[in-house]
Amino acid sequence: MSTLHPTLDHAGHAGDDAHGHGHGHHELSFIQKYVFSTDHKVIGIQFLITTMLMLMVGGALALGVRWQLARPWEYMPIAGDLTFARDGGQISPEYYTMLFTMHATVMIFLVIIPVLAGAFGNFLIPLMIGADDMAFPTLNMLSYWFMWPAILFFAFAAGIGPEWLTGVVGGMDAGTAQGWTSYPLLSAVKTSAPGSAMAQTWWLMAVTFVGVSSMMGSVNYMTTIINMRAPGMTLFRMPLTIWAMFITAILQAFALPVLTAAGFMLVADRLLGTCFFIPAGIVINNAAPTIGGGQTLLWQHLFWFYSHPAVYIMLLPAMGMVSDMLACMCRKPIFGYKPMVYSMAAIAGLGFIVWGHHMFISGMNPALGMTFMVSTIMIALPSAIKTFNWIGTIWGGRLQFNGVMLNCIAFVSMFIIGGLSGIFMAAVPVDIYIHDTYFIVAHFHYVLFGSTLFGVFAGIQFWFPKMWGRMMNDTVAKFHFVLTFIGFNVTFFPMHMLGVAGMPRRYADPYHFEYLSHLLPLNQVMTAAAVLMGVAQFLLLGNFAYSMFFGEKCGRNPWNANGLEWTAPSPPGHGNFDVLPVVYHGPYEYSSPIVKDKDYLMQTEYVPLAQRQTNAGH
Amino acid sequence: MQRSCCYLAVGLTVLVAGCGKGPQAEFSLREETTDLIPEAQKVVKTTLKEKFGSPHELIAWQRFPVNYGGVKGSVTEVAAEGKSVVVEWDGDATQVAKDAPLIWVSGARTGEKTSVGSVATYDAAKKELTWTGGSDPAPVAGDKLVIGFGKSLQTGRAVYMKNCMHCHGVSGDGNGPTAQYLNPLPRDYRSGVFKFTSTLGPEKPTRDDLNRVIKYGIPGTYMPSFLWLGDKETESVIEYIRWLAIRGEFESRVDNDLAGDFSQKTIEAAAAKAKANYDAAKGKEKPEKPQSAAAAKSAAKDKFAEYLKSDVPELIDGSAKFIAEAWAHSEEAESLIVPSVARVTDDAASRERGRRLYLSDKGKCYTCHGIQGRGDGAATEDFWKKPGSEEYYTKRGLHDTWGKPLQPRNLTLGQYRGGRRPVDIFRRIYAGIKGTPMPGFGRTALKDEEIWDVVNFVMSLQYESTPTKAKAAEHVVHSK
Amino acid sequence: MGRFWAIFFVATAVIAVAVSWFSPALHWWFPGDGKAHSNLGLRIDDLFHLILVIVSITFIGTHAALGYVLWRGATIKPEDKVLFSHGSHSLEVIWTIVPAGILLFIALYQMDVWAKYRVKSFSPAETEAVAEVTARQFEWRIRYPARGKKLQPTPQPDDVYTVNELHVPTGRPVSISLRTEDVQHSFFVPELRVKQDAVPGLVIPVWFDVIDRRTGKNAMELVCAELCGWGHYKMKARVFAESDEEFEQWREKIAGEQFDDGFKKAAE
Repeated sequence: MSTLHPTLDHAGHAGDDAHGHGHGHHELSFIQKYVFSTDHKVIGIQFLITTMLMLMVGGALALGVRWQLARPWEYMPIAGDLTFARDGGQISPEYYTMLFTMHATVMIFLVIIPVLAGAFGNFLIPLMIGADDMAFPTLNMLSYWFMWPAILFFAFAAGIGPEWLTGVVGGMDAGTAQGWTSYPLLSAVKTSAPGSAMAQTWWLMAVTFVGVSSMMGSVNYMTTIINMRAPGMTLFRMPLTIWAMFITAILQAFALPVLTAAGFMLVADRLLGTCFFIPAGIVINNAAPTIGGGQTLLWQHLFWFYSHPAVYIMLLPAMGMVSDMLACMCRKPIFGYKPMVYSMAAIAGLGFIVWGHHMFISGMNPALGMTFMVSTIMIALPSAIKTFNWIGTIWGGRLQFNGVMLNCIAFVSMFIIGGLSGIFMAAVPVDIYIHDTYFIVAHFHYVLFGSTLFGVFAGIQFWFPKMWGRMMNDTVAKFHFVLTFIGFNVTFFPMHMLGVAGMPRRYADPYHFEYLSHLLPLNQVMTAAAVLMGVAQFLLLGNFAYSMFFGEKCGRNPWNANGLEWTAPSPPGHGNFDVLPVVYHGPYEYSSPIVKDKDYLMQTEYVPLAQRQTNAGH
Repeated sequence: MQRSCCYLAVGLTVLVAGCGKGPQAEFSLREETTDLIPEAQKVVKTTLKEKFGSPHELIAWQRFPVNYGGVKGSVTEVAAEGKSVVVEWDGDATQVAKDAPLIWVSGARTGEKTSVGSVATYDAAKKELTWTGGSDPAPVAGDKLVIGFGKSLQTGRAVYMKNCMHCHGVSGDGNGPTAQYLNPLPRDYRSGVFKFTSTLGPEKPTRDDLNRVIKYGIPGTYMPSFLWLGDKETESVIEYIRWLAIRGEFESRVDNDLAGDFSQKTIEAAAAKAKANYDAAKGKEKPEKPQSAAAAKSAAKDKFAEYLKSDVPELIDGSAKFIAEAWAHSEEAESLIVPSVARVTDDAASRERGRRLYLSDKGKCYTCHGIQGRGDGAATEDFWKKPGSEEYYTKRGLHDTWGKPLQPRNLTLGQYRGGRRPVDIFRRIYAGIKGTPMPGFGRTALKDEEIWDVVNFVMSLQYESTPTKAKAAEHVVHSK
Repeated sequence: MGRFWAIFFVATAVIAVAVSWFSPALHWWFPGDGKAHSNLGLRIDDLFHLILVIVSITFIGTHAALGYVLWRGATIKPEDKVLFSHGSHSLEVIWTIVPAGILLFIALYQMDVWAKYRVKSFSPAETEAVAEVTARQFEWRIRYPARGKKLQPTPQPDDVYTVNELHVPTGRPVSISLRTEDVQHSFFVPELRVKQDAVPGLVIPVWFDVIDRRTGKNAMELVCAELCGWGHYKMKARVFAESDEEFEQWREKIAGEQFDDGFKKAAE
């Protein structure tokens, strides 16, 4: 089979009726079925739609940031009308700090972490390992619904909501503005900035809720993957997506408590008068001097002890998913399956001992810098191995250039850029210069957007048929890809140059510095590209919404893929599988010589020994 | 499907591109203005609009000693039958270029329609200029003209909107978006009162005073140093701030005059009081029934119509004159505080004398600044009356003329908001701090020598009682 | 269509390389004249360029490989067989050991500069502290000792103060005591490649050497590189590097202004 096309039915499976299985579940009310559902698929889709909407919110905030950098102190649409009409529509500097803080917050806590672990993790783990649901379905439901207080509190933190309820005096102008890293003292002393008052407390509460949600998910994923695999699904027959989710869950379970504890300490500093992070005798905004002898660097250590592993939480699942999709779209086994697994494990392991690279110039002991540099540079190694293996996977395959594949290639290509720029930052002496400049902004956008989000875009299109039983429009998906890819690169590649030119990040107006004043035109080009990229996301939303109802119908296995999820009906009913799947192969047996008539071999398909020998012998 | 998506993309792009224009900033009105009866309000509003314009369309009222910018020139030769002139410039001639606005300020052309035009051509080498806007009547040698008038004000506005507005507000009312989070609050220029000046008690600040504050900031507040703003920008923004202060003060003076008879609040209060008296007096000897608030307002309306004709032009003129003179006078040498003696040698004896004066009944510094100079004197614990009324402030401690709570300076910190030069502190003691309860001691209570003793004492406070607690918590990072 | 996409991705990489190549000519590169003005900065620039070369080669190599496999996958004929391979042990070993060697080299090669400039020579006792730089929201306040005196940890009556203007002698290592009055800030002089966070409660010595004389309009800019609140972008100061003599003259001048009692002026 050289081309892929949606099939209405699949040979070897009787019927495509979603409800055609005989598990004997009783009827559920609408609310139980679609709102407070304990079905992992519904929860996964809930996560997916929520995060897609949040992606638009985070994108709008980013456009606000870019607008200010292109037209500093001029009228900003929407914000200028809503909040600053009196001042001629130009935003205030603290509003700018709120914009980038909330952009990062929304993108990290409400988009990337939940879309990977929450949406894809939930949807795929039981389907891919042959389980009928998660180990703890109710916990799973709670993990989604704990996102909502978080979203609400983040909104309060941004100054949205009535003042009598939120206590944020000043509306969005007083939204939290400490950056997503929330370094004290800015985040600990309420008088230190407009956003440091009540808004920051809401922010910390919201992060705690996100943490609780993630923790529920991670416990669930670990238990499910360890205990509920189908017969024959040995650890090394698991798809890389599952490996990635498993490792991510472990990362989360070990790193998150530190952040939660640090968050509580900061809340205590703010509300209970403790002094974990506050040194004595500091007067800010003519408030009473601070008491107690805390250390602000403690927060940085605790925060990055979570947040560096969190970077891998935001990346590993996408790596796993892309591996699966690449193998399928290249019609070829993944190149070096075990090295892929080991390198993910290595990334996770090393990920715990590199947090200090965020603090090279923070005033921590300079001798520590050397240790962290070595571990940080060495973490590039497993990433490099993965990259080579992806290229190896593409090598010699029969490539299907559809939207899924394009996004996957973009993932690999952008990950190379993001990975290589990381080496500059890992080298301590060079980091002295480029630390906190736009170079780091370029770097993490290449990793988080260029890699993770392109992986997510691919994943959405790839598993969409399993969610809805319909295909997404591939042409629109390609348009979306091209516009996003061009917009993305024009926006973020020049940021490397801005960084080398020494432009510090988080500046509302860099151009009044003489050494930066010539960079305005470049920034304007970047902003135009960012607007293009933002507009392009409506293609994704439109395609998603349209195809849900009017997309081309498809059968169980439209991509001719091997995984267990493709043996289930599309969409799978409650309980997922018609019969308990039994696994005979690894997930990547594409173009296997032991089957003659097709280029894939599903994990559940038993090939008799005789046939195997005959075919392989030729 | 594809097509519809393309339409969507195009539509959104157009939408985004179309968002280029937003609301325009406006000068806000004082509360006193909006409290006037509508007719009076209208007059104040139109006058302000006519004489000062709006932030996007500034009007330079030439009565005031504000350097609106531009270069003045005097015609030395007339050529080409009055269509071209040679000009001697008085100032920076680089701004004379094509399309720069031109105004004839003396000679036969002034007052004519043709007195306003723009530069058509200019030969910098020969200093020869042609202009648009008509040549009738032809200029003669000795006529004066201004090129680029208002340029400075415009530059100042641009600098102000970028750097100052978010705290000090569009109209200089100290109420920009950031202002509400700051302690102390940003200055409200509109009363024309500035705290840290080198001038005598009732005087305005000099340009140099404003320059110092902009350049070096005010330690202990959120006013940062704008040392690297650029000379031209700094000069322009100083003029703009003076202009804003003048605008605000003009509004304030006009309001104050009109408020006596035409304030809605006053009228209502008077009517309410009269009614209360009337009600109280019921049954006894019946006084005349007082008129209602509405009737009183209507009467005020009639009265204002009369007042408008008879007194308002004079009020506007008089206010402008008063303000213009005040600002001009502050720049004169006699307004500047200059110590009559050099600083008394800063020794133990002088400090001791200073200390005694600080604690004496002559100085009474301790009542506010505290016996140890920590800014915790007894006055900070008292309730104070609002000036000109029987009402008390709701918060303990001192208040400034803007009605905001105010801490006396803690003199042990070594933070000197008005500058740390001995002469700065001398001037603070000599003339007080405008707009605050800090009185001036010069000429009256203290002799200049005595002031120097107090200066020496005050400046020594930081070193004698440096709090050691805060320092103890700090430790130097070592790597070895 | 497959060929188009192969070219598309290769073209992206080519454009990226081209943009990087032309960036210095477009001034999208190191600030000022493009050179570091301190010895530490020169070493940093060397290391930056070393990494840049390694990274560029890797980038071009991987993208060439990616382009090749894409092109091959796009042009595969229907009758051609797909390469059925689960990987290659020897290839895995090669592309583990080679990058590991390169990465280890990069890491170890960096050590020296960091050690020399941040650990070994990092002694306030050896380098004279010329000034105390106190960052505050949103300006730099600087305190110098009086002529001939050493900088004391606490203010002295004869100290000289400036704001947003740091003068240092040129041609030899000097150090400053960096502290903050309120929240965290970061002392960043791009042209010297010096950066150090100012941490509440700590006094951190920062040392650097300016190679050449930088005065007047040629002075370097000092910026804040750690978010410190709404006015983060306002923290603009200048660093003047001048000969010892000029430095002393300047300090005299500032001291004269600072101790001005306003009297002499009137006599003139």
